[in-house]
This record gives sequence, structure tokens and C-alpha cells, in this order.
Amino acid sequence: MTAKPAGEKSQRKPHIGRWLVCLLAVVLVVPLIPYTFADRGNVPNPGADLWREVRQREAPVTGTTQVKGVDTGVLINIRGEQWRQFRMQTLLPAGGMVLGAVVGLIALFYLVRGTIRVPGGRSGKRIQRFTEYDRILHWSTVFLFYLLAVTGLVLLYGRFLLIPLLGPDGFAVTASACKEAHNLFGPLFFVVLVLLVINFIRSNLPKWVDIKWLLKGGGLFGGHASAGYFNGGEKIWFWLVTLFGLAICVSGFVLLFQNFDQGRQLMEISHVIHSSLALLLVAGSFGHAYIGTLGMEGSLESMTTGSVDANWAKAHHDLWMEERAAKGLDENAAPSPEQQSPPGKTAPGYQT
Amino acid sequence: MARMKFLCDAERCIECNACVTACKNENEVPWGVNRRRVVTINDGSPGERSMSVACMHCSDAPCAAVCPVDCFYFTDDGVVLHDKDICIGCGYCFYACPFGAPQFPANAAFGSRGKMDKCTFCGGGPEPDNSAEEFRKYGRNRLAEGKLPLCAEMCSTKALIAGDGDVVSDIFRERVTYRGAAAMAWGWGVAYGGRGKRAGRNLEGRDSTGD
Repeated sequence: MTAKPAGEKSQRKPHIGRWLVCLLAVVLVVPLIPYTFADRGNVPNPGADLWREVRQREAPVTGTTQVKGVDTGVLINIRGEQWRQFRMQTLLPAGGMVLGAVVGLIALFYLVRGTIRVPGGRSGKRIQRFTEYDRILHWSTVFLFYLLAVTGLVLLYGRFLLIPLLGPDGFAVTASACKEAHNLFGPLFFVVLVLLVINFIRSNLPKWVDIKWLLKGGGLFGGHASAGYFNGGEKIWFWLVTLFGLAICVSGFVLLFQNFDQGRQLMEISHVIHSSLALLLVAGSFGHAYIGTLGMEGSLESMTTGSVDANWAKAHHDLWMEERAAKGLDENAAPSPEQQSPPGKTAPGYQT
Repeated sequence: MARMKFLCDAERCIECNACVTACKNENEVPWGVNRRRVVTINDGSPGERSMSVACMHCSDAPCAAVCPVDCFYFTDDGVVLHDKDICIGCGYCFYACPFGAPQFPANAAFGSRGKMDKCTFCGGGPEPDNSAEEFRKYGRNRLAEGKLPLCAEMCSTKALIAGDGDVVSDIFRERVTYRGAAAMAWGWGVAYGGRGKRAGRNLEGRDSTGD
């Protein structure tokens, strides 16, 4: 740097310093600009193509083999590990927690609320609610459902809970029997489920009164909730059973009839659907069973004997009782003081 | 203690299927089961590679993890074996295995898979060593005789190597050194224009990002 007069130096130094820094930046940065546009990625690694195909992340299968079969040209099936992680790390713990939580919540509710009694006590007059066919279908479904649930749960959790109890050989026999029973009664459950759905579907079509029933928590809060032949909660359970049950059956058939060249991916997806929905349905069934037995006095007899107490019907299904009255049934029934349904409200299409 | 491993050298495998035939014959494998198979990538094109795969006897074996009846066990050598008497034929091990090693006989009715069968590293099963019952269920037990799996012994080019993992690694490392990684060296295609000895011609205009 050349010498400058003293007075000018103090004025020029900041300018020169700033310019020098700018010049430095320019000298350093500008040569890099062409690199940002340069094509850097175009050097192929000869091994990459081979190992990408071995890894088989993309369909279709590119390997060929003399061994004939489904997926035999696949060297590495990565979805197998994903499925294993899902079953062992997600399904098993989450399933256990869901089942435990539902049982716990039901127990808590019972301890707090207790059995919900028929308001005003029983009148002694019986109203016919379910035909013999209804009840046969329902209990057949219940029996098959719990048979499949128990055998399925043994296949899921037995390794951890039952091998310490039964030993490896004892548990192997048990699990084998459970698997055969599960496979045998699964298709039978499908038949019974279809009959059940056909039988009850007309009574379970959603109506506005069901939404109002649900918003009042079925009468838990917000006062009395009107309901027809089936209330909102029952309809939800019906549709859960229908939709989940049919999905479980379809995926079950895919898993059961494995001789139609299903690949591993299809079986893994079917297993995920089948086991997840089945666990949810089992949890839901605990709630349904509770309401039908301990939870509400007077409910179980509807499905065992087919008839219910008139006061029970008026308290829980008042619109159904109104429709029956409009049709002239129950003519001998004395009007109950508990009847609070608004006048002139008949719900069409309810099965009596 | 030896940790048993398989290694198939893709540069040497000529897809002769000697390993497949040796295994199938020696172990009298059930109908419909193929314990070992040779898979060829890019068959017929330059850059063709073949690899022989059976059970890899994994350390964290997915088959053993998902088995509902816990029928798998591990020998001290790291060989993954299973007990056919306990197996219920559910098929979960087959879904979980990345290599498709556990298989089921094809002569049973739907829904009934029968007992799972897979490569045993010629290590037999839980029955007494070299007994008739063990041979009937699991095939030959060569490890108990101090021998190595027959597939690797029969390999015509010694592409398939089986045995103690340390020895296998040493052999393969020596091969890689001798070959000079000509076929798989990164950058040789650009630097020397010839793309290496066995690189495939389907690489033009493509890079390792897969676009």
C-alpha cells in the first residue's frame, strides 16, 4: 500500500478496506459459479445398477430363475422386514393396549355408574322384540366370533403368554389346533355374518334421530334421547360389525386359500388388515357385550327370550313403542307416566 | 467359535444351478420346495449377473421373530434351524424372510401348508445327529460330520462359498484384490472410457441416482 498524506489516509482507509474485502469475496466466489451449473452427477457407478436390482425396491421383478413360482425371481423382499416390524413392534403392543384399555374403561364405568336400571321399575308386560331367527343368527355369530377371536389371540399372543404355561410342545399342539379351528370356522362365520347383515340391515339405516341420540351420549348427558327400534349406538355397532367383519372375512379368505399364487405382498397386506380390524372389533364387542348384559337392566332378555319389558322399551326405544301404538299393537298397555315422546312423531320403516 | 455364513460371488456365478441340484438331491427336499435358487439379473444382456440364494442364517432372523410358536433355534455356529414338530404351518416366516427361504410343500390342500422347510446349512435339525428320522425331516447333516454345505462344495466356479465367516471374508477379499475391482470401480467408466470389463451397456446416460 503506497503512503498517503496523513489527512487523506484517515478518510481513504475505510474505503480501501471495504473495496479489498469485496474484491476478495469476488475472487473467491466467482470461480465457483460455473460449478453450480456443472453436471456433477453423471458418473455412473457400475455396481449401483446391479445392487439396485438386487435390492428390489422397484417393481416389476427383474430377476429370472429356473425355479418356477411366485416371486422366485426376487432376491430381496424388503417388505418382509416392514411387515415384521409392524407385527412385532406395532400390532402386538398396540393391540394389547387397546384391549386392556377398553376392559379398563368398561370396568371404570361400571364402578362409577353401575347397572342402569329400568326407570320406574318393570311393568310386568312383555313386548316382542326379536324373532327366533334373529336370536339364532345373533348367538351363532357370537359363538363363532369369540371362537375366532380366542383362536386368533392365541396365534398372536400365545408365544409370549402360553409357552411359559404349556411348554413348547404343549403350546405347539394348542396353537396348531387353534389355527385349524380358526381356518375351519372362518368361512362359516362369513356365511353367518352375511345372513345377519341381511336380516338386520333395514332396521339399522341411519336417521337423524340417531345423530341426536349420539350427541346426547345416548342419554348419559343432555337429558332423554329418543330412539327407534335401534338407537344410534346400536347402529354404529352394526355398521362396524358389517364393514370390519366383511373386510376381515375377505382378507381372511385371501390368507386362507393361499394356493392361488398370492405373492408375499398381498398376504402381508391381508394380514395387516385382518389382524388390525379384528383386534378393534374384539375391543368393540366388549362394549357391546357389557351394554347387553351388565350395563343395562332388561337388555339381555331381548336376545335370550325375544321379549322385553314394556317400561324398558318405553325408556330406551320410545319411538319404536310409539310406532307400535300407532299400528294398534300393545292395545292393552296402560300409558306409562314416564312416556315423554313428543306427539305426532312416527318414524317410518322400523321393524316391529 | 465359527460364525457360519454364505457368500455368493456375483462375478463368478455362471448360473449352472449345480448348487440347486446338489441341495435338492442330497437333502431329498419335499415336493414344491426349492431350498436354493439361482437368480439372474439382466439375463441375456451385457452386465448379466447371477446370484445363488437360500437361507442366509441371519443374526436377527425375521423368521424366528414372527413365528407364533417359536419353533426356531440358533446353533452356536449361528446356523438358524427350526423344529418341524412344533411348526404349525402358518406361513409367517415366509412373509417375513427377505430371501424367501422358508417354503412349504405344494402337495397339501388349501389353507394347510404343511411343515415349513428351508435350507439348514446342511445342519440337520433337533433330532439326533445323522439319524434316519433327522434325514427324513431335515435332510443331510453334514456339519455333524465335519463337512461344509454341499451347495458350496459342488459349485463349479467356487462362486458360492460357505463356512466360517472370517475365512469366507478372507477368500473374498483376496479375490477382490486380485481382480482390481475392474468391473465395479467407480469412475473407471468416465476415466478410461471402456466402462470396465463386465460393466453393462445399459448405463449410458444414467447415473447412480436412478433418474
